[in-house]
Amino acid sequence: MQRPTGGRAAGVPLWRWVSGFLRERWRVLLRLGVWSVLEAGQTFVVGYALARALDAGFLAGNARTGLLWLGAAGAAVCAGAYGTGRVYGVVAALVEPARDRLVRTVVARGVREADAGALSGLTQQVEIARDTLAGVVMVTRSFLFTAAGALIGLFSLDPLLLVVVLPPLLAGVALFAVTLRPLARRQEAFLAADEALAQELGGVLEALRDITASGAEERVAGSVGRRTDAELRTARALARWSAARVAALAVGGELPAVLLLVAAPWLLGHGVTPGALVGALAYVTQSLLPALHNLVHGLGTSGSRLTVVLRRLTRSDSRHREQRPPRGDGEPRRRPHTARTRPTTAPPSPPPALSLTSVTFTYGPGGEPVLDGLGLTLPQGEHLAVVGPSGIGKSTLTGLVAGLLTPQRGTVLVHGRPAPAPGATVLIPQEAYVHTGTLAENLALFRDAPVPEPELLAAADAVGLTPLLTALGGPGATVSPAELSAGERQLIALTRAYLCAAPLALLDEATCHLDPEAEARAERAFAARPGGTLIVVAHRISSARRAGLILVMDGARTTCGTHAELLRSSALYRDLAGAWTPRPAPLPR
Amino acid sequence: MNSRPDSAGSVSGRALSLASAHGSAARCAALCAVSTAATAAGLLLPALLGHTLDLLLNRAPAARWVAGCAGLVLLLALLDGCAGVLTGLCDAQATAGLRRRLTGHVLALGPRAGARFGAGDLVARLVGNAAQAGTAPGALAALLAALAGPVGGVVALGLLDPWLAAVFLAGAPVLALLLRAFARDTSACVAEYQRVQGRIAGALAEAVGGFRTIRAAGAEDRETDRILGPLPELSRAGHRMWRVQGRAAAQAVTVAPLLNLGVLAVAGLLLARHRLSVGDVLAASRYAVLATGIGALVGQLAALGRARAAAGRLAEVLAEPAPGHGTGGLPPGNGLLQLRAVTARRGGRTVLDGVDLTVPGGTTLAVVGRSGAGKSLLAQLAGRLADPDAGEVLLDGVPLRGLAHAELRRAVAYAFERPALPGTTIEDTIAFGLTAATPDAVRAAARRAHADDFVRRLPDGYATRTAEAPRSGGESQRLGLARAFAHGGRLLILDDALSSLDTVTEHRITETLLTADTDRTRLLIAHRAATAARADRVAWLDSGRVRAVATHQELWREAEYRAVFGDAEGATSDLGAATGSGTEARD
Repeated sequence: MQRPTGGRAAGVPLWRWVSGFLRERWRVLLRLGVWSVLEAGQTFVVGYALARALDAGFLAGNARTGLLWLGAAGAAVCAGAYGTGRVYGVVAALVEPARDRLVRTVVARGVREADAGALSGLTQQVEIARDTLAGVVMVTRSFLFTAAGALIGLFSLDPLLLVVVLPPLLAGVALFAVTLRPLARRQEAFLAADEALAQELGGVLEALRDITASGAEERVAGSVGRRTDAELRTARALARWSAARVAALAVGGELPAVLLLVAAPWLLGHGVTPGALVGALAYVTQSLLPALHNLVHGLGTSGSRLTVVLRRLTRSDSRHREQRPPRGDGEPRRRPHTARTRPTTAPPSPPPALSLTSVTFTYGPGGEPVLDGLGLTLPQGEHLAVVGPSGIGKSTLTGLVAGLLTPQRGTVLVHGRPAPAPGATVLIPQEAYVHTGTLAENLALFRDAPVPEPELLAAADAVGLTPLLTALGGPGATVSPAELSAGERQLIALTRAYLCAAPLALLDEATCHLDPEAEARAERAFAARPGGTLIVVAHRISSARRAGLILVMDGARTTCGTHAELLRSSALYRDLAGAWTPRPAPLPR
Repeated sequence: MNSRPDSAGSVSGRALSLASAHGSAARCAALCAVSTAATAAGLLLPALLGHTLDLLLNRAPAARWVAGCAGLVLLLALLDGCAGVLTGLCDAQATAGLRRRLTGHVLALGPRAGARFGAGDLVARLVGNAAQAGTAPGALAALLAALAGPVGGVVALGLLDPWLAAVFLAGAPVLALLLRAFARDTSACVAEYQRVQGRIAGALAEAVGGFRTIRAAGAEDRETDRILGPLPELSRAGHRMWRVQGRAAAQAVTVAPLLNLGVLAVAGLLLARHRLSVGDVLAASRYAVLATGIGALVGQLAALGRARAAAGRLAEVLAEPAPGHGTGGLPPGNGLLQLRAVTARRGGRTVLDGVDLTVPGGTTLAVVGRSGAGKSLLAQLAGRLADPDAGEVLLDGVPLRGLAHAELRRAVAYAFERPALPGTTIEDTIAFGLTAATPDAVRAAARRAHADDFVRRLPDGYATRTAEAPRSGGESQRLGLARAFAHGGRLLILDDALSSLDTVTEHRITETLLTADTDRTRLLIAHRAATAARADRVAWLDSGRVRAVATHQELWREAEYRAVFGDAEGATSDLGAATGSGTEARD
């Protein structure tokens, strides 16, 4: 299977995306040309045969010849239709790879950036791109070959006819080309306004209860009204510009017919036969006019839609990158306060499993630091629990250790190497990731090869997955995340992490949906991994009690110590520990 | 449940007039006139062209006729241009008018609209259906043209010679049959295509949910490859779709030219017998083309049908009666809340059954009960997010129905379990209300809701865009609380609004929230015993009735009361963690 080429497409200018794509497929374009020649041939024959049927047949009193010529035209129609059918197949060879490429781009971005918008991109925008690209290719091709067939036909009937037909046709096409850009701009403005309105309405209709409760109906009606008016303005501008299409069509499609009539005495005087004149009128009104009509209407709308959608699908992702802030320049902001660290052992010992030095992290330029000068050293084999109120930055800490986030200041070393160290850390977040597939596939996600069954079964036993594994029907059973409970998904994620070779395991509330006994079993399994270091963002106090060392996060007052030490030194820890009672008694008032 | 059969008929009857009423009537009439005129001119042109050609071929003076042709072509272009512009303008006007009216009505309905139709469905109606219904004027005008063109074409053929019309009418059924085959053929491979697409989308959705796991393991490329596994299958299904479409298109593009050639053959034979002129042959050929436009009629009818159906769906929304507001004001007071014999039904079930409840001003009442006991509905009735089916709710002695809208919303503030957070920035979101709260009030409220800390850590602090601020369930709840605090009136209703907070934060908030405040009444739906214990009194709701109103201590003696908290209490042993659906994803 091909590697995703989508990454290359992100951020390149649109025209280069399209032209590059077409250049790679010149063979397909050639095939498209070959089959289209049949259609052009049909256009040519139908007009030419009509002229001959009149001149050599019906007008000459030779009805049989006339019918034969019309029969030839009928054969040409069938051949042309066959060509049309084959053209669809060739268009598929152009459109389907483009769709494949867009799907790869969208999926790669969705996976890389957790972009939920990628989903609508995949199902809607990619399809719009596919349909409009096909439309653009079809109408452009159809116009080019129909025009070629008709012009060759006119030339064959009498070169003088071209003198009359060609100038207005070219003028009409030029007029259309000139108006294409302003028309496309208005089409894009309309699509943007329409989308903005849809988004606003989506937000409002999700929040009706809260809007009513806040009494903000008028304000909301005002802002929706402004979007509605903006959309109306763009729709009106677009409607007015549609007159430009009609003008191009009148000049390029209708005017040649009128000119043929005006020039008829002159043409007839210069040897043009009556049949040729009728044939020319047929070319103009029945081939060129419809082809130009399709071009003007198809390209005007589809082209703009395609432009808008492709631009969105292949955009560069500045917004998402901002969430991974660049490394700060290291200017000290305020006095770092270092958490108490456990002294490491004698010099020749291996590097600590984790070493944080003056780590400061802020989510954005306008925000306050979540971590401010945090220092922490964990020797290999240590078991650390992290506790603190929600939103205090525990997940930020695990994100920094896993290398998902980069601190503005300070260093994060995992086994002596700077984070991210995917081979050395494994992160199990609260929302366990299980994908549709077999259980064995899910468990081997972090491995390069399938896990040998004995090892897999041993891991399942250690973490506590065995009952689920048996119930599902063994490692080969297909799992569907929607059919598993949150706790079952967590067990699978935990076993997968257990099977991974990374020595530093980060359990970020990874057991919150398990009952206390299952949680204890899973945590003990991780703590018992030889040489394995464990950091648990604790969900229950019992989980903190199992850890050798506890980090209490409380904004400015981050402290680290054992359970007993913290009960003495940290008010927050006493609060947290106190909030957990086996059965809360009613508080006396 | 989205369409009531009894009203459906009358609804769609009014639907089109509803749509066209919103494009100005004059403009729509002009559109119809213009497109009818354009059709007439289009029908006249072939005859004129034919006659002119005959004159020219006979070397007769034809300057006036040629000028007539040129004039008619110009007129036709002008009419087409006008029709195009007018269609666009009428459609846009009608769509915007419908959306404005619908938005106003849905906002007046408030949560009732959401309960009746569902938010997603309403979005589809206001965005998609309004646009479809808005095309009604244009579709109607186009339908007239689409009907007049082919009919006129066949009649004109008949006038030239009955044989021409006969040939066309004999061949036309073949056209209809082949066009129908087109619709039948594609549906199977479209379904296959969508199935594979759904598989890729499903796998992507799973991976987006598990992005922290994937990224921390550096497994992005491998997961991308795995998700894209079915892509070749999608490609195959796509190719198949084009092939089927190609076959159908080949059939479709054969029929009209062959019909045309058939008409021409007959015309040629008639020409050879001098029953027709060369100009007549040209005219016959063009009339045959106009007549084959009958295929477009199917599309036009379908478009009009869609517009009509869409207008019907909009009319359903407008048919929902919006609650009215009185004009009354509130006397000075501190939020005495009285429910008198309140009965409320939902979906045929009596959820609240004759509830009598009085909450003295300035006190706190916790409402507890098993799930389904009617707690949330009670909270909705207390601040008039819903009206009771029987009975009355009074605030400081005034029935809520009699209060003016502004007076009611100034007096009552709500916080919810899963708040929706409209507004642009965090600042705007907390200030969101009848009148925007001041920056100082916003910050004070955020501090009371323990939201200030995490807001200040956001990328742009209070100026961070709400939609882009990463939030856990608990953080959303705190923003919702802050919004309620920033607008606090004499009645504050907390509908399970602390459920996703960790126990420490909840404890801290309830401490400030429930300390004696004689200015306002607080009604809170509670799931945790610790919360109920801190309220002045507890109303114990059981199967839609108030079983008892007393202090938590008094009620705690009853085993059944303790059982209300039974299983839920296990969850409160969570430590510094969001319970339930609260997720903590901040990177």
